Amino acid sequence: MPLLEIRNLVVRYGEIEALRGVTIAVEAGQVVTLLGANGAGKSTTLRAISGLAKPTSGEILFDGQSIAGLGPEAIVRLGISHVPEGRRVFPGLTVKENIMLGASNRKASSAQISREADAMFDLFPDIRAFADALGWTLSGGQLQMVAVARGLMAKPRLLLLDEPSLGLAPVIVQAVFRIISQIRKDTTVLLVEQNARMGLSVADHGFVLETGRIVLGGKPDELWGNEAVAAAYLGGHAKASA
Amino acid sequence: MDLVLQLLFTGIGIGAVYALVALGFVLIFRATNVVNFAQGEFSMVAAYLMVVFAVDLGWPYWLSFLIALGGMALLGVIFNLGVYYPLRHRTFLPVIIATIGASILLSNSVLAIYGPQPQVLQGWFDTPGIQLGPVYLDSQYLLIIAVTIALVFFNYWFFEKTLLGKKLQATSQDKEMASLLGISVSTMIMITFIYSAVLGGLAGILVAPVLFVSIQMGSTIALKAFAATIIGGFGDVAGAIIGGLALGVIETFGAAYISVPYKDGFAFLVLVAFLIFRPQGIFGERVAEKA
Repeated sequence: MPLLEIRNLVVRYGEIEALRGVTIAVEAGQVVTLLGANGAGKSTTLRAISGLAKPTSGEILFDGQSIAGLGPEAIVRLGISHVPEGRRVFPGLTVKENIMLGASNRKASSAQISREADAMFDLFPDIRAFADALGWTLSGGQLQMVAVARGLMAKPRLLLLDEPSLGLAPVIVQAVFRIISQIRKDTTVLLVEQNARMGLSVADHGFVLETGRIVLGGKPDELWGNEAVAAAYLGGHAKASA
Repeated sequence: MDLVLQLLFTGIGIGAVYALVALGFVLIFRATNVVNFAQGEFSMVAAYLMVVFAVDLGWPYWLSFLIALGGMALLGVIFNLGVYYPLRHRTFLPVIIATIGASILLSNSVLAIYGPQPQVLQGWFDTPGIQLGPVYLDSQYLLIIAVTIALVFFNYWFFEKTLLGKKLQATSQDKEMASLLGISVSTMIMITFIYSAVLGGLAGILVAPVLFVSIQMGSTIALKAFAATIIGGFGDVAGAIIGGLALGVIETFGAAYISVPYKDGFAFLVLVAFLIFRPQGIFGERVAEKA
């Protein structure tokens, strides 16, 4: 049984149908990458999984249990941690405080959480020096590190990462992806990327979303070089498919 | 010089009351992005609760005080569930109108029970005050200042040193992200309303012996406190406290040296001056927090 299974997921924002029947499966221990152009529905898929977007129809099963319709607070307690687009680091809190709040989904003493946050800096040595700096003072790459560290503090069984490379310099993107390949040892990851090359480099499996539908799925080497992937990578599709 | 010290003491005392109510404004604003126009009525209701228990029923002052604060915590819960919660997904306008409606409901309910004539509440201490050199320290003003100082420290400790305080801050900065981390946003907002209602109530109970207990006392205090939050820098906790104290001192000096009838006018004159020359207030608006 896959850790996460989505069947015929439809999400509407008012009149707009953002997802029109998405079906994907994520096996435990895998890194699965969801590729697609802007507006294809990648972020909406993650938002539906984490409870931020209410599914109109379809099923979302986590470990066999239906989670469609649950609120985000309940879903993160089940072990799904969502690092959303734009990092969303709390600007008025310090780096360490941000990371500590990542453990809000589970019961632990604040001393225990503080120790765990300190240990998190071993995985993210670049932000250790900024532990006491306020969120708004950080650069984009540092914010991404904080956001991922905070997401991991939930001790998730499934980590949802939304465009971790967005707006970052190539060197920083590589650092972020090095971290993803370290995370995968303990955590299943569902990664959303526009950067197909980086996204597939760490993946066991990939899916391509196009205007709210999965148009392709397979192993990275099967997807690589495929016309649809190239289209997603370039951010458009010549053929009128919508 | 003696007069100056005396006025400074009185001004800080009355300013401390504005500061407490202003703090309530700011905390609710930060948590919900809405100005609670019933914040002043919290002070009024608490003062009347004191009249009910300490005066009408003749219960011990400290017991009445605890009951009144407990009552305010309960009012905070009811206010959150009845006024804010049903409208939380709407824009700020319906919520603001609902808080105005709640303030009218509260003052008219009290009016229906107690009538328009003001009530008198004794101070906490039997001793009216102490003479310290040239300055006479009124015991009630001393109490107000002491409680305000204690609350400023408590507030700092609570928001800066506890995990719950950090969760409250996180909720006020980004509710959606807070919920993604498993922070119960509705619980955090509930705590904010309870805390703000108790703060407002405390201000009302403390100031009641200095003023009369009347239906209008809430709106008078709230207007000054609101001006204080703008002078201090809207949404800023330190600004609310400094702004409140400054306003108390300014109006006390204005009354003594310029004109007593225009006492209330000075506060608003300062407010207008700030709105023209420094609309972001003393501490400015930390733009980065809005990002």
